[in-house]
Parts: sequence; C-alpha cells; structure tokens
Amino acid sequence: MSCPRCDSDNASQKTLSPRLERWALVGGPNTGKSSLINALAGSQLSVGNWAGTTLERLSARLDLEQAQVELVDLPGTYSLLATSPEEALVVRELLQNPPDLVLNVLDAGNLERSLVLTLELMELGLPMVLVVNLLDEAEAKGLKINLEALEEVLGPPVAGTVASRGQVAEVLAKAKEARVPSPKVRYPEALEKAIDRLTPRIPNRALALLALMGEENLPLSQEALKAVEEERAHLEKTGLDPYLLALEARYATAQEVYHRVAHRIGSKPPLTEKLDRLVLHPLLGLPLFLLALFLTFRFTFTLSTPWVDLIGRVQEVLAGWVVALPIPPLARSFLAEGLVAGVGTVLAFAPLLFLLYLALAFLELSGFLARMAFVADRAMQWAGLPGKAFVPLVLGFGCNVPAVYATRTLSHPLDRLRTALAIPFMACGARLPVFTLFAFVFFPQQAPLVVLGLYLLGLVTGLLTALLLGKVLRAERGEGTMELPPYRFPPWRLLLRLAWARTQSFVQGAGGPILIAVLTVWGLLHLPFPGGSPYAFLAQALTPLFHPLGLEDWRLVGALIPGFIAKEVVVGTLGVSLLGAEGLNPLSFLAGVRALLDSLLSALTGTLQGLGSLFLPFSLNLAPEPTPLQVALKEAVSPSGALAYLVFVLLYTPCVATVAALRQVIGGRVALAAVVYQFSVAYMLAFLARQLLP
Amino acid sequence: MLSLAQLPPGHRARILQVPPEKKRLLALGLRPGAVVEILLKAPLGDPLEVRAEETYLLLRRAEARGILVETLIAAEPHELPPVRLR
Repeated sequence: MSCPRCDSDNASQKTLSPRLERWALVGGPNTGKSSLINALAGSQLSVGNWAGTTLERLSARLDLEQAQVELVDLPGTYSLLATSPEEALVVRELLQNPPDLVLNVLDAGNLERSLVLTLELMELGLPMVLVVNLLDEAEAKGLKINLEALEEVLGPPVAGTVASRGQVAEVLAKAKEARVPSPKVRYPEALEKAIDRLTPRIPNRALALLALMGEENLPLSQEALKAVEEERAHLEKTGLDPYLLALEARYATAQEVYHRVAHRIGSKPPLTEKLDRLVLHPLLGLPLFLLALFLTFRFTFTLSTPWVDLIGRVQEVLAGWVVALPIPPLARSFLAEGLVAGVGTVLAFAPLLFLLYLALAFLELSGFLARMAFVADRAMQWAGLPGKAFVPLVLGFGCNVPAVYATRTLSHPLDRLRTALAIPFMACGARLPVFTLFAFVFFPQQAPLVVLGLYLLGLVTGLLTALLLGKVLRAERGEGTMELPPYRFPPWRLLLRLAWARTQSFVQGAGGPILIAVLTVWGLLHLPFPGGSPYAFLAQALTPLFHPLGLEDWRLVGALIPGFIAKEVVVGTLGVSLLGAEGLNPLSFLAGVRALLDSLLSALTGTLQGLGSLFLPFSLNLAPEPTPLQVALKEAVSPSGALAYLVFVLLYTPCVATVAALRQVIGGRVALAAVVYQFSVAYMLAFLARQLLP
Repeated sequence: MLSLAQLPPGHRARILQVPPEKKRLLALGLRPGAVVEILLKAPLGDPLEVRAEETYLLLRRAEARGILVETLIAAEPHELPPVRLR
C-alpha cells in the first residue's frame, strides 16, 4: 500500500492490461463530480448500470501517457455510513473493489462539511487526491481558500478546479503525487481503544469504525463481527454512542482544518438565497412551478414530434422499398412490417428520450429540480412520496417511457420503485387516439368529460398504488429531507453528452426486448395458421375472459394484443380487423429518396416552429370524423362495454417500451410483477366501470 | 429550548439535540452545535427551507419538530432582513 502505483500491478489487473487503472470520484452530492468527469474526459462519457443493480453508473475513459484510466463516478454521499442503497454502493465499491486512486471532490463553497467526508476517506488506506471544486462559487461568497495550506495540514495532494469552466489541469498533475494518507482524526479515548483492540482482526481503520457505528453488510468474518459486538456492547454500557462520538470528532477536526485554510475576505449574501425568495415566493412560487413543469413538458414532447415523425417516414420509405423487392410475400412482410417496424419503434423513442434527458439534466444540475421538489413536496406527502416524484408523474402524461427513466432523479430506491409503478397508469399520449375514437362513437355529448375522467382515473389509481405500496413496504413515511444546491449554469457540453450517453443506454438496454415483442406480434398476425391467423385464434380463445366486462367481439379483445407494442396501435388494428387491411405500397428508389429529403426538411422546420411555440398552450385534437370504423365499432359493442374497454385500455399492461424501461430502472422481476398487477387492476376497474351504465 | 419547527423565520438558533437514529439529518449537517436558520416555507406551508451553516436544506415540518434548538439572541446580526412570511 505504500506505493500507489504498485496497486495497478496486482494480479487481477494484469490479465487485462498492465497499465489499466481505475480512478473513483468520491464526494458529496452537488459537488460537480459529473462536471469534473466531463472536463477531464468528456468525449468518452458512457452510462450503464452498476453490476447487479439498477443504479446508473457514469464512467469515462482517459488516456494518459503512463496509463489508461477508467474514471468512475460513485454516487454522491455525505458519509461512508450509508443512509441509502446508493451510499451503500459507495462503501461496497471502496472496500471490496478498491480503486487505484480516490479523487475526493470537495465543494469549495461548503468546505467545512466536505472535509468531514474527506477525513473519513483518509482512513480507508487508499491513494488519494483532493479536488477542491467550485472555487468560483467560494470566491463569489467571499471565501479565499489556501490550497497549499490545505495540502500541508491534511497530507494528500490538493488540486483546485472550476470544472464547469474546464479548469481541471491540476488534477492530473497532482494525481502523479498521490499517496496513501495517514488518518487525521483522533477519536475520544474509548473509541480509539476499541479500534486498537479490533486492529488484529480488522486492520482497516475505516472498516473498524464503520463496524463500530453499526453498519451492516460489511466484508467481515464471523470472528471479527463477534469482536465488534463485544466492543459495541462495552461502549453502550458506558453510555457512549460510537456514531455520535465519531461524528463529533470529525466535525471538530474539519472545523479546525477549515479555519486554518479558509479566510473570509468579504461577506456577500449568496445569490442563491435571493433567488430562492423569488422562486419559492409564497404567491409567485406556485405559478412559477407550474410554468417550469409546462415548459419541461413542451420542450420534451413538442420538439421531439418532428423527429419522431421523421423516423416514421423513414420507416415507411424502407418498407416501400422492401415491398418492391422480388422476394416471397411472407419474407417481404417480415422485413417491412416486422423488422423495419420493430427497429423504427425503438428508434422513435430516441428523440423523445434525448430531449427529456437534456431537460432533466438541466433542471437537476441547475438546482431547479430541487426547488420544484420543494414546492410539490406538501402535495406529494399525501401519497407518501417525496416532492421530486412530481416531475416524473407529470411526464407520464406525455409518454410513460421517459417518465420511468426520470424516476432516476429520486435518491431513495423505494420512492423510485413506487413512482415507477404509478407512472404506467398515467394516460400517455398514445392512449388518446383510442379514447377519442370510442368517446365520440359512444358518448358524443360527453366526450371531453369522458376523456378527462379517464385521465383523472389514471392519476388517482397511480397515486393510490404508490400510497398502498408505501404502506405495505414500510410503515414510516419518507423523511424527504434533501439539499437545495446553489443555482448554477450547467456546462451545455455536459448536458448534451449526458443526454446522448443515456439515450444510447436506452437503445442498448431496451431495444432488444421491444424488437422481440414487435416480431412476436408480427408472427401472430402473419404466420400461416389453420383457419386464419394465430392472432385470430388467440383472440378468440381469450374472449370468454372478457365476457364479464361486456366485451363479446373477439376483434376488440384481439386489438389489445398489439396494443402491447404501443397503445395507439389498438385503433389501427381495429381498423384492419373490422374493415380489412390496406396493402403496403411499393416505392421506387428515387421516390423514396425524395420522400426522405422532404421529411428531413419538415423535421428541421418543425423543430424551429416548435421552439417558437414552446410557450403556447396545448391544443387537444378532439375533432370527430364519422368514419366507417366508427360505424363498425358501434355494432361491435354496447356503450357499457365500450366504457369498460376504455378503462381497460387506460390501465392495462403499459406498452412494451415502458416494460423495458421498468426492467432497466427497477429490475426484471419487479417489472414482471408490475405487469400482472396492472392487468388485474385494469380488469377489476373495467368490470366496475361496466356496472356504471345500464 | 424549542423545536426547530417553532423557530420564527429570520432568527438564528443553535441545534441542541437531533434524534440519534436520524442519521441522514446528522449527515446532511443538522448536528448538535450547528447554527441554523429558517429562510422560507413552501407555498403550501410545508416543507421549510433551512440553512445549517453553509448548507441549504429542504426539511419537512414533521422532521423539524424532532430537532431541539436554542435561539441565539442577536449574537451575529444576519446580513439579510428577515423574511416576511404569512
């Protein structure tokens, strides 16, 4: 351990490459860790999941002269003693998969508290560099920090940075001087003696302290655990709480260090405090909150529409080319309606997610998301959720898929799970065509009311789901306490790179399942089958299940199956099975190219128009068209059956893309349970809805 | 001695006691000895914006009730005029 560079030569690393190193960024939330990674190795940014978890892992490759480095961003934490699974991940990584170098990122504007974690990290016995970031904010507060003095007082090399402006050069220079620091905090006698007695069994000071403080799931032998229990019992007998003792000692040392290195050269009230008086104003706060929500919604959905349309056009052109190929009809159909449609379905989400991630990263890193959480917190307490959960829920009304990914901004996994399970009940845009079609056929006088009622039913069902799940999983309500970080201008390059890496992660992680689902439905609809298609057979077999809901026509029940791909497909499928299919039109090469160029142009102009109309209110297109489909529908089902059908479409299994998103965010098994749950809820409420009408 | 929820906005106080099982509050900087101040309450009355030393926090009233403080009487006049809340 005395030579940090030797670490990279240990056996496990050697098999990969002798010069491969892993550097971990460790620091509090909002200390600018992602800005630092971006400034050091932004173009190599990638996003994945931590092994065995659904937590996001941000990393980047950095090619140095002496080594190839993987920079890994560990979740923000205030202390090694974990209060959430994300923080537990930090401890687990540092103890069980120790990095070659710890880059401890400190907030220069809140140095004293940052130092508390630093003092704890220094007990780990890992090579370490301190990166004092956000020096610009400290200066704006009237604080002068003497970095040389800090290095002298503490030991590890200290680099000063303003990562948001790319001023990070010192980090690499100081990394070369990194060494294992010696622990700085001297704990009260009783605690020190306990640590000493544990040393033969637990040589790592940080580990011994964590064990004494009562941290569970540490990599310790039975024998060591027994020794820890004895020491804890001994301390408790004398009325001492090891956690409070250690915390006090660390704060005292941090304060001492702070006063030796920081000097106040002025005292300006921080801009953040002034801005908060406006943003969180008793009267203005609520309208400003709603405006921010509205803009996020518009930005994501209005600006992505032209690009989603473009992908649809590309899909049509490709299908047209395929249909013109001299190959058997079944192969043509497979390529055009299976493969092209499947890949198109996956890619159509990319513009939507990219813009959502852009908006969310801006809100999160600028400090606005925390303020939105602040305003919404009281209302969300009713459902037992933190204020931050409000934003994903509202996004769910646009599209469930980005909304599920937006739950990643919630720090507690239980809150994330409950919000993610509530989201599929939010009536996304794809369900609107089904609602309007049925509402205008069966309830022409009250159509808008029926549609509004469906939206509310979805919202209430979702919130009740979150509430009940909270009651089942834990009795106590969430604390909801969180930091309100200072307002900041996030570097736009970081926003774009994060959004890009996260969109890539969606295509890689969710693309496969979506494609498989589309191909399965294609097979059901088109593969040869005695007496029709597998689709008709399956739909007829399922129809008795839906008799209690007042649905007796197998074509209505059948349309729910492709509705699993995207709910708006329900309308198209109903059209095909009630009225007969339209053939695909073959397209010549040149005509296809022309169509592609046209649609590219309209996507660009559409984006510009969208930017101009960000502030305009929505227009709900509820225009009724008396089509043959509506006439055919009226004969297929009664009004009470239609209402049950609408409720079922609102609530049943979200589309495959949402399930794929749930799998990435909350895990496969839970996602599967969610599907079953949603199906049951949809069935029961649809049954009740049928009883509303004669 | 009063609870943090009872502290009038604009007044400073020193934390005397935090329930020891509230490790998250302690880690966030709400620890005995820290100087705190209530800056704002949310438009719906709850939660509170609290400053603990240099850290700004969202704190629910229910949590604030568990934290005991003693007011600091004009020891250090604050730079900003007290926030008017109603």
